[in-house]
Amino acid sequence: MLSVKGLRANVGDKEILNGLDLEVGSGEIHAIMGPNGSGKSTFAHVLAGREGYEVTGGSVTFDGQDLLDLEPEERAHLGLFLAFQYPVELPGVNNTYFLKAALNAIRRSRGEPELDAVSFLRRMRERLKVLHLDDSLLKRPVNFGFSGGEKKRNEIFQMALLEPKLAILDETDSGLDIDALRIVADGVNALRSPERSMIVVTHYQRLLDYIEPDYVHVLARGRIIRSGGKDLALELEEKGYGWITGEEAAA
Amino acid sequence: MSGPTETGTALGFEGWLPSADTAPGLDWLESLRASARSRVRDQGVPTNKQEAWRYTSVKRLLEQGFVPAEDAITALQPEDIEDVLVPGLDTHRVVVVNGRYLPSLSSLGDLPSGVRIGGLRQILESDPDALRERLNGVAGEDQPLFAALNMAGLDDGLVVLMDRGASLERPIELIHLSVGMDEPRVAQPRHIVALEDGAQATLIERYVSLGESLYCTNSVLELSIGRDARLKHDRIQSESPNAFHITGLYLSLGQASRYQGVNVGLGGAWARNDLTVRFAGEHAECDLQGLYLAGNGQLMDYHLDVVHGIPHCSSRENFKGILYGKGRAVFDGRVYVAKDAQKTDAAMSNRNLILSEGAEVDAKPQLEINADDVKCSHGTTVGQIEPEMLFYLRSRGITAPVARRMLCLGFAGEILDLLSSDALREQVAEQVGQRLENAVLD
Repeated sequence: MLSVKGLRANVGDKEILNGLDLEVGSGEIHAIMGPNGSGKSTFAHVLAGREGYEVTGGSVTFDGQDLLDLEPEERAHLGLFLAFQYPVELPGVNNTYFLKAALNAIRRSRGEPELDAVSFLRRMRERLKVLHLDDSLLKRPVNFGFSGGEKKRNEIFQMALLEPKLAILDETDSGLDIDALRIVADGVNALRSPERSMIVVTHYQRLLDYIEPDYVHVLARGRIIRSGGKDLALELEEKGYGWITGEEAAA
Repeated sequence: MSGPTETGTALGFEGWLPSADTAPGLDWLESLRASARSRVRDQGVPTNKQEAWRYTSVKRLLEQGFVPAEDAITALQPEDIEDVLVPGLDTHRVVVVNGRYLPSLSSLGDLPSGVRIGGLRQILESDPDALRERLNGVAGEDQPLFAALNMAGLDDGLVVLMDRGASLERPIELIHLSVGMDEPRVAQPRHIVALEDGAQATLIERYVSLGESLYCTNSVLELSIGRDARLKHDRIQSESPNAFHITGLYLSLGQASRYQGVNVGLGGAWARNDLTVRFAGEHAECDLQGLYLAGNGQLMDYHLDVVHGIPHCSSRENFKGILYGKGRAVFDGRVYVAKDAQKTDAAMSNRNLILSEGAEVDAKPQLEINADDVKCSHGTTVGQIEPEMLFYLRSRGITAPVARRMLCLGFAGEILDLLSSDALREQVAEQVGQRLENAVLD
């Protein structure tokens, strides 16, 4: 579904991604772990098409299409979704209006009819419940004045509504207490399906206690230096990143 | 007196004065008008050496060679104005066409006792004494050029007189409709709204036009709000793209009175707004909100002069602008706090969103504080759409032009949400949306 080969990217003059390879198949969950500054968030943003990153080499194909050639909205239309580490506040932009615009833009791009107001509301209410979010959230401006936990839950709520093929969760656990983490993880797990893949970017192993990955990759200095099963995350938790990044440096 | 040599119009703005006097012959009124005429002559044509005209030239205005709109347009039928109504808005409606009150198009409905609504000329003829203290009562005689012109060339306008404690459930709606004539015309309506102590009302003032004609409206609005009285005031200027619009708003606030004004400027080629606020009693609150859009060929110019001459009053001035294409705006706001006006609470803000390289705004908020126990602030921002916001929307599948429009509407929403009725808010939001859709946002 997603094939990343030798991806290199700069921010300004600084090379952040340095030959990253990753293959994600349908329905798989891949965790990407790594110390601060290893390039995890850059990788997530490059996949979603954020400006300010210059891709200097390599390729990314998604469902056979050259992803790097597409605008951010076109990537979303193909079924890519990024859950932001820092969801952006949009003062004055009503949440319901925003969600409806997003869902209908994606449906239109797929040649599906737009949802009418009633079916849309019904669908929203169902998904809200899963994430223990209050109806009142829909009347507020997008993320505006939301607590940290509400923002993260709102990201997963949007994911539930937009039903992407590939979701990238960028440090979704950061800033969440254990109860909020569990709610977010339950929301994510409810969305697991053979047709939906996920890339879970995280610094800590604890999220992976709740969202169990099929594969774990360690990112350091802009590339994946070790891949394994979920046990690799536990090993990292125990020994720290120094164990593996130091090993690489020594090699 | 500076001569209008650059314009080829030897008379300058004196050409706006009516050739024959059509106003009722009242001695006191004659004296007001004579004094206004001499102020017009004394002031001459404004130049950019005057602080109030530093950023805005009147050259374009003068070049049009406007002549007074002397005759009332009586041929209009109610169906002709259907397009300019707000669907679902139930009001005491007064229609003024090219400066003249037209009873045939107005629908005042039942008015409770203590409330008079009518045309300025009508009341000058039937009960001139009711207006004797009111005309220039708030504006004063020491008026700047365009307000003096308005008095000297006095047409007609809306009069609302509310006795002590009177109140209206439904809003009063003033529709100022402009209809293009062969020759470019200037209409100079003067509106008088006076709320005695404890009176309460909502006023919706709408400046609209039929077609895209070229004309000028030079309006003056005198609002006097008595002790404990309340006025909500929405003002929507959505005139023809070729229109010239001038407003002088004069507001006087009595003790513990409250005023909330929402000014929306969408239309016109050249729009100058002078908003003047004076406090006449303690503990009064003035809330002035504004939203303006300016695209190609448009100038939106706002001058605020808020004088806190009395202690314990508060004022808010919050204006937002969206500029695109080669649109231009000026925000020149002054809040003055006199030496004795302790415990003044004033906050002025002007935020601008610039969508194109060719757009421009001159923002000059000023605080002049002469008292030592006050809470005053001011702030200005001029910025573009935040790239993070745009990316967030696009990452959800929303295309860039739609995302930009959503963000602009969100920016405007803070002001539009304050409009007094849902029906009006919907219409104005729709107009703003359309304007943004037509704007080149890419």
